[in-house]
Amino acid sequence: MNPEVIDQLKTQLGANGLPYAIPIHPNLVHLTLGLFILGIAFDIIGALFFLQKPIFKFLAISATRSNFFDVGWYNTLASAIITFFTVAAGFYEMMLAEPSTGVKSAWGLQAMETMLWHGVGGVFLLALIVGMTIWRGFQRYIWRKDYNQQVQWTYLLSGLFIMLLMYVHGTLGAHLAAEFGVHNTADMLLRLGKNPNLLLN
Amino acid sequence: MLKNLPPLNNHNLPYPDTMHPIVVHFVIAMVLFAFLCDVIGYFTRNHRLFEVSWWNMFFATISIFIAIIFGQFEAGLAEPYDAAQPVLNLHTLLGWSLSAILAAITAWRYVIRSRTPQKISVYYLAAGLLLTVLVGTQVYFGDQLVWVYGLHTVPVIEAMKERLLQ
Repeated sequence: MNPEVIDQLKTQLGANGLPYAIPIHPNLVHLTLGLFILGIAFDIIGALFFLQKPIFKFLAISATRSNFFDVGWYNTLASAIITFFTVAAGFYEMMLAEPSTGVKSAWGLQAMETMLWHGVGGVFLLALIVGMTIWRGFQRYIWRKDYNQQVQWTYLLSGLFIMLLMYVHGTLGAHLAAEFGVHNTADMLLRLGKNPNLLLN
Repeated sequence: MLKNLPPLNNHNLPYPDTMHPIVVHFVIAMVLFAFLCDVIGYFTRNHRLFEVSWWNMFFATISIFIAIIFGQFEAGLAEPYDAAQPVLNLHTLLGWSLSAILAAITAWRYVIRSRTPQKISVYYLAAGLLLTVLVGTQVYFGDQLVWVYGLHTVPVIEAMKERLLQ
């Protein structure tokens, strides 16, 4: 966003360009990614239960197949709910972002390109996560209610594909943080020619 | 042995980006979600959620050790400057402590699940709350290392190589 517009909030912003010390979006991302990937992973354990069964038996841990589908469903549902907040926090923080301009990321993109891809991609991922959750809900409560295997293979494959998108998307986010120094206190101090070792002591 | 590693990049890492913050996604998500499921399950008596919480705790306990391995590796390559050192020490100390605490609470949960799968005590719930608070604190320290002190970010590594962070 252009610096003059951001200056309208100047009195409220700290050295990292935010009104608080630690960015919120990267913390909510933990929950979005963690819960979604685990949701699919638990469903995969359920779908391939015949492979894991001997392991759990050996460990003397009682495990029933339907439990893993419960875990898969609730984790995915939680991910869908939390991700609305992840995206909202992301947009708030991106509108206040002042990335370094003279740098290209490891993928050869400039700051603005990275932010646009990451911003638009985030909305698409939200839509995909919500779509997957609805699909999962239909399988659980209507289509496959009485099936031993609650999830379709196409659902699991779609989940794996979305994880690949998440990897690409997450790497763009990591570039914003660790290469363009967005909302990073030490990086922004260095850009101003100040020494974080003295100022953050 | 260090000679067998690929050369370090501009993040001071032998691979493109930090791994520890990615692995901790899973521990954080599972521990917090397990506690949430316990709380909802306790008050609504939905014992299905107790299974959800147990399996999350079980895999969180495995994941935390993977998180620590990457954490130690990347801390070793972080070359923290003086101002960042105390926070890194706290993060390391609490990280190792959490591995023991998490393993102990999961073991307790295993016993509860074996004896009364449809019930948990309020004491277990309290332990879950304590664990949630500790994980929150640990996340805060980790956030400081990345977002305040900028460890493993390109500008900080550059400044370190130019000896600007004395």
